[in-house]
Amino acid sequence: MKPLMLQGHERSITKILFNREGDLLFSASKDPKPNVWYSINGERLGTYDGHSGAVWSIDIKWDSSLFITGSADQTMRIWDVETGSSLANLEMKTSVRGVNFSYSGTMIAYTTDKMMGHNSELSIVDVREPNNVDATPIMKTQVTPSNAKALSVLWGPLDEYVVTGHEDGCIIKWDMRTGKKMEVGQEHTKQIKDMQLSHDGMMLITASKDSTARLWDLATLEPLKVYKTDRPVNSAAVSPLVDTYPHVVLGGGQEAMDVTTTSSRIGKFDARFFHLVFEDEFARVKGHFGPINSISFHPNGRGYASGGEDGYVRVHVFDDAYYQFKFDF
Amino acid sequence: MAKKNKPKTLDNEDDGGAEEEEPDFSDPEDFVEEITEEELLGDLLRQKPKETDGVESVIIVDGVPSVGAERLEKLKNVVRKIFKEYGTLLNEFYPMNEEGKTKGYIFLEFKDRAAAEEAVRQRNNYKLDKQHTFLCNLFTDFDKYENIPDEFVAPTPQPYKDLGNMSFYLLDENCFDQFSIICDGGTTTAIYLNSVPEAVEIAKRERWTETYVRWSPRGTYLATFHGKGIALWGGEEFHQVQKYSHLGVQFIDFSPCEKYIVTFSQHVDQRSEEPQSIIIWDVRSGQKKRAFNAEKPPVWPVFKWSNDDKYFARIGEDMLSVYETPSFGLLDKKSIKVMGIKDFSWSPTDNILAYWIAEDKDVPAKVSLVSIPSREEIRTKNLFNVADCKMHWQKCGDYLCVKVARYAKAKREKNEVKYSGIYYNFEIFHMREKGIPVDSLEIKESIQAFAWEPVNNKFGIISGEPPSVNVTFFQVNKGQAPSELKKLEKRPCNNLFWSPQGQFVVLAGLRNMSGALEFIDTKDFQVMMSTEHFMATDIEWDPTGRYVASCVSWWGHKVDNAYWLWSFQGKILKRQNVEKLCQLLWRPRPPALITSQDIKDIKKNMKKYAANFEVQDKMRYSKASREIIEKRQKQMSTFTEYRKKMNDMFEEDKENRLRLRDGQDTDTLTSNENDFEEETVEFLVKKDTVIVDE
Repeated sequence: MKPLMLQGHERSITKILFNREGDLLFSASKDPKPNVWYSINGERLGTYDGHSGAVWSIDIKWDSSLFITGSADQTMRIWDVETGSSLANLEMKTSVRGVNFSYSGTMIAYTTDKMMGHNSELSIVDVREPNNVDATPIMKTQVTPSNAKALSVLWGPLDEYVVTGHEDGCIIKWDMRTGKKMEVGQEHTKQIKDMQLSHDGMMLITASKDSTARLWDLATLEPLKVYKTDRPVNSAAVSPLVDTYPHVVLGGGQEAMDVTTTSSRIGKFDARFFHLVFEDEFARVKGHFGPINSISFHPNGRGYASGGEDGYVRVHVFDDAYYQFKFDF
Repeated sequence: MAKKNKPKTLDNEDDGGAEEEEPDFSDPEDFVEEITEEELLGDLLRQKPKETDGVESVIIVDGVPSVGAERLEKLKNVVRKIFKEYGTLLNEFYPMNEEGKTKGYIFLEFKDRAAAEEAVRQRNNYKLDKQHTFLCNLFTDFDKYENIPDEFVAPTPQPYKDLGNMSFYLLDENCFDQFSIICDGGTTTAIYLNSVPEAVEIAKRERWTETYVRWSPRGTYLATFHGKGIALWGGEEFHQVQKYSHLGVQFIDFSPCEKYIVTFSQHVDQRSEEPQSIIIWDVRSGQKKRAFNAEKPPVWPVFKWSNDDKYFARIGEDMLSVYETPSFGLLDKKSIKVMGIKDFSWSPTDNILAYWIAEDKDVPAKVSLVSIPSREEIRTKNLFNVADCKMHWQKCGDYLCVKVARYAKAKREKNEVKYSGIYYNFEIFHMREKGIPVDSLEIKESIQAFAWEPVNNKFGIISGEPPSVNVTFFQVNKGQAPSELKKLEKRPCNNLFWSPQGQFVVLAGLRNMSGALEFIDTKDFQVMMSTEHFMATDIEWDPTGRYVASCVSWWGHKVDNAYWLWSFQGKILKRQNVEKLCQLLWRPRPPALITSQDIKDIKKNMKKYAANFEVQDKMRYSKASREIIEKRQKQMSTFTEYRKKMNDMFEEDKENRLRLRDGQDTDTLTSNENDFEEETVEFLVKKDTVIVDE
């Protein structure tokens, strides 16, 4: 089916995200205004105005009441999803790179950049009172200099630990209470661009600049699978229908700065579908004319959305052929 | 050996064992060094000062008049006068006998070796007067000749080294071919067997070569390049067969029968007076056969070999020097004088040389064929208005095509000649016909590429200016002018590659033409496949003409380095991405020994063989797919097990999850009925414009 083309950003998309039910699609870009859309028809509901820099990361609370954004303007904001009003504005010393709600939605984990003499930090704040947030983190740990800069951050399933993805390709699991390292996964050779959990929070998929995506067991950080491409992978997602359609989708492509010097045909900006178990690629969807920066399955597993360097968000619904295709085994 | 074991007690006397015992770096008593010093630091040893270094500028002059002390000064003056033009005399010594007279020989020391050598060369046999003739020798020569034993001692034969079966690669029962690849930007070299359905790695080594590799023309050896020289590898395990020490070697060339190898280096050691630029080696023994100097920069290969390794030749100023093996001397002790010679080449099958001579004022340009060793001119052809000539031999030696670039106008500017209105002529020599008739073919367009069908009598040319480029195929017939077979217009190509067995040809638009490929059967000029390997830089046919490899080399293009394998019909068989792939080379095969009658019979019974091969291939493929299926089944069962465990864990945690989300079950999209609210969403179904009548 023809995809919906969501055109509302002035600059390249940094992150897209469905809410839990999948009726809303949130998008953030290097322009300061994140958008929210109806995922079914691509109608824009509104924007969240207030930032003055690129928005690197967004997250939505499980009950779709709160929306958080981490920005290069060195703030993290908490928004009322429905009204678009800013409930809290937390000022940091450096850019906010990754933000993530815990399972319960009562805590936010965020990472900050290493800049101007400040270390990259992983912090957790309590947001039980979204109108009156205490900006002092309830837990804070220095990521640098003992580790490389942290980029993305994810909560484990039961609010017990967080996982961070780093600039040197490692992923680290931290005990939320003590801020101590629990596990390190060192498989990727280059920067982690994105991390996503499977719908049940049992598996983690990481996308890396080293042209691969990897699947991990979240509890042990044991590597399970690797999906190889020939271009940097910016984002990867596991299908929510993992037990019937064990698929993963990868988005990426030649980096924007390299594309201009070569022919656009070699950029390979396709969304690539892999069999989760066999690690074999079985489908490609083209459309973007820049690398895909963020990709996500619809929570019902019947479609996906991708946001690209070209500034577009494309929302796809799978054809029947997708469900009919089977690997021989 | 210089290494000595120090007595251990010596340095242990007064430290009282306070410090920790130092590790012992000395070799054990019975240690035998495996690496000789020559191997370890051969290049340094060669620079080691020799005893003769100080005396090499000394010469001995015999036949000097024997004089008493009263006339000594006068004699010295005479001698100085004679020798002074070769350099300052640092020292002179006139030995005296008991009677106070000079002994009749003297020692002179010059400032350096060169001066001493020149003095010897010029003043040996110098007639001073009727009774006295100077006999001059280098002082070092005495040493040299003194050490030569009077009796001839036959050199002991080298023990025979069994290299194993060097033709092992030809014994593959399925006749799969091998190819070498260099990847990782040059650090890794690997050899693969192009087996069906997947290529099998035979050998893979890190830093096997420092630059690139070459196969010998019959495929017996793999040559690797190193700063210190060339190494040859072969046999079943690719062990080192031979090495040739040539500092800074850049190019190599094998003789067609693999008997000799020619190496070239720009590196010149000033201390040695021997030529070192080009060295010819015996491949089997590793012996240096002869060395030559090269003009700079040389056009490689400097030496061209006759097909049977008997002769090799190089071009000089107005002459052609033909050398013979195994003596490595000039054929008939002199070069062939050819005024204005520009280029030459050997017939690939006969001992015939072709060369061409440029125009000189009123004398036309000329192409000549000369038989070697008789030096008999068997055919010449005069040509007019010639700007340049290129010679192309058909691989079977049946035809020679001389591509002549001719001009309409020539303008002389200072020392340069500028040509305009260039057009092209093909002069085709029919080597196998009596009197070697020559056909001419004129092409008005500029020629991009020319290639003979390796067997048979067809050739193809690519002509015109890009992007509108035409490909034309011609056939050469006995006693007739070449006939045009087919013209393919406007093709995106800049190279054409014939199958080694003829008939099939690949047209390729390499590099800036973005890798368009066309597979053509020249029997009926059907385009079997029109396809693309984006940004391909190289096309390599396998030696049997069954497969074609297209590559994107890291040397030419920095991303998507890969080799793709095609069948000769253009069916894609494999797309293999290789990190920083640099070079892919098929291992050549020696010429087939089967007779043409046998080949005919095989072709006649092709159906019978083909059925057999198809069964074999089918078995291989089904085995491979069976292996894949088995692997997948295993992966799937492991994964299903893992998921089961995870799902159980997920269920166990249900209570905790409910607690964290205020008792709401959010595990599946439909697990919480209260979540659903009715919502009205508008869709744009269609746009319609209706013009309303007024």
